[in-house]
Amino acid sequence: MLINVILAVGLAILMILVYFPGRHARHYSYIRVENVLDEILWAAPVQSKLKNCSYEDIIVKNVDVDISSIYGTRYFEIPLKGGEYKPKNCTPLIKTALIVPYRNRATHLKVFLNYMHHFLQNQRIHYQIFIVDQNDTLPFNRAKMLNYGAKIAIEMGYPCLILHDVDLIPINTGNIYGCSKTPRHMSSSLDTFRYNLPYLTLFGGAVAILSSQFKQVNGMSNKFYGWGAEDDDFYRRLITNGITPYRFSPEISRYTMLPHVKEIASSERFTVLAQGSEQHKVDGLSSLSDESVIKQEDLYTHIFAS
Amino acid sequence: MATIQDRLRIPWSGGAKQIAFDAILPIFIIPAMLLLASMSLWWTIFTFTTVVIFLTLISRFFIKNIPHTKFFFLWTITTLTVLYFIFEFIVIPFLEILLEENIALSVLIFGFVISVCLMKKRTKQLFMIVESSRNDKEGDRLKSCNICQIKVPSRDRHCLWLDCCVGNHNRCLFISALFFATSALTYSSNLTLTSVCHPFTLYRAILLPDDCSDVYKLFELGLSFVSAVYSLALAAILLLLFLQQLVLVSLGITAKEWNKLPLVSKLCLGMFANRPHSKGFCRNWTQVICWSGNPQYEQFNQEV
Repeated sequence: MLINVILAVGLAILMILVYFPGRHARHYSYIRVENVLDEILWAAPVQSKLKNCSYEDIIVKNVDVDISSIYGTRYFEIPLKGGEYKPKNCTPLIKTALIVPYRNRATHLKVFLNYMHHFLQNQRIHYQIFIVDQNDTLPFNRAKMLNYGAKIAIEMGYPCLILHDVDLIPINTGNIYGCSKTPRHMSSSLDTFRYNLPYLTLFGGAVAILSSQFKQVNGMSNKFYGWGAEDDDFYRRLITNGITPYRFSPEISRYTMLPHVKEIASSERFTVLAQGSEQHKVDGLSSLSDESVIKQEDLYTHIFAS
Repeated sequence: MATIQDRLRIPWSGGAKQIAFDAILPIFIIPAMLLLASMSLWWTIFTFTTVVIFLTLISRFFIKNIPHTKFFFLWTITTLTVLYFIFEFIVIPFLEILLEENIALSVLIFGFVISVCLMKKRTKQLFMIVESSRNDKEGDRLKSCNICQIKVPSRDRHCLWLDCCVGNHNRCLFISALFFATSALTYSSNLTLTSVCHPFTLYRAILLPDDCSDVYKLFELGLSFVSAVYSLALAAILLLLFLQQLVLVSLGITAKEWNKLPLVSKLCLGMFANRPHSKGFCRNWTQVICWSGNPQYEQFNQEV
């Protein structure tokens, strides 16, 4: 009798251990494709003779790009110095700064720039690509680099920031690179995650956020060296400020990751994360030094920071 | 679960020491094989080849000297446990597999375990049936198995890996066990490989791995990858067995009769061979699916 009870309890514990939802990839709620247009925050059109660019067909008639073709040369118009582009035959309603933290990934950068200029120009948006290069010998600090890029882009008057990893390639043409009213996690359907979402509060990879919101939460933390958890901290900052990010349909949120070895999470990530929430006010955009160098390259604006 | 534990105990408490030793061998060999293989590609090739050669040699030795050995059955149980453990506690924590995919896999494994348990149960029942009617005339298709030491209706084989005789009494269960095992192994290896390797989509629906070049750089990835390769190899073997069973049942012959057929006849799937016990496709299958103990046994006697 007692043995049976123990067995039953043991089995129940084992079932919970094995089927606990937190151990699995998650289904998530999302904005459906037909509602995407209502969620995008449009820029006020400048007075001009040209008619406004239309974005409906881009989103509705979305298609997947063949992944093997992303390495091939793609046609795009040469952007202005510094990697800025404005559509010529219509007035864009979206103005985006694409901020990419970077160090030592020359092959990825080449593929990324070649692909993204083509991709973004097809979306008829006004954009500029910022590559933020960490030029010290410390472990990579992704969040700090994003802060530098965001600070400069905000100063240049960009209302919308897209914080983007250099190894992520959007493969659906309907994945519109503009900001929505609420910050948005864009890379929710990534091929190396089997097109699943690892956990609901994931907010890394590619993220769209309004400059005003980024300033409101004091940007990201500057204290995360090494890989991992800086995006979780950023998510917490948004939540403590009463902003809950969302996602668009997985159909248009498909990404492929350029090949490299899976990274191991930094061991200190949780200690830094634990001391996080009181630090939001003092650690972030406000505590950034002014020591950054800006260089205008042909295809992008190169920012050196440390 | 209870049955597995019950069977696990046998070599420890009961039998002679020698038998206990050969039975517990797989508990050390399989984890060691997977751990070594996860080091590099060459280690994978080396350990897998070694294990195949070792198994061929040792199975000959065991069949000759210790025919009652539980070595093979323990090999099956250890494989199942180790692979499941790796899947649940190494692959699942990568957070790339959905809950329903995990549940689907569990259902397949459950189907396999239930099929095997019922197979063994039916063989035990058979023992009683045959015992009670030993004085009756024996059907010519009732063949004795010298490992189980019972007479089995239309004996197909003694499956060493399941430690169970396969005859008409449990052939349907044997086929379903093969089906569940093949599906579970294929499915789990696909889930694992698409998690640890770079995947691609086929026809926008099926996810398949395409680039596994980096798996040996991290222990967890290597171990998952190697376990998936092992699963896939087992699945391939079991799939062949499964197809063979389908052909054999459809033709109404046993494995032994199949082996005696000339090559040309085998190539024609034995369609034109002389099959004295075949009752036609449909009846062969109903006989296998609807086996229910005594009535069937009586049918044997009537046929004689």
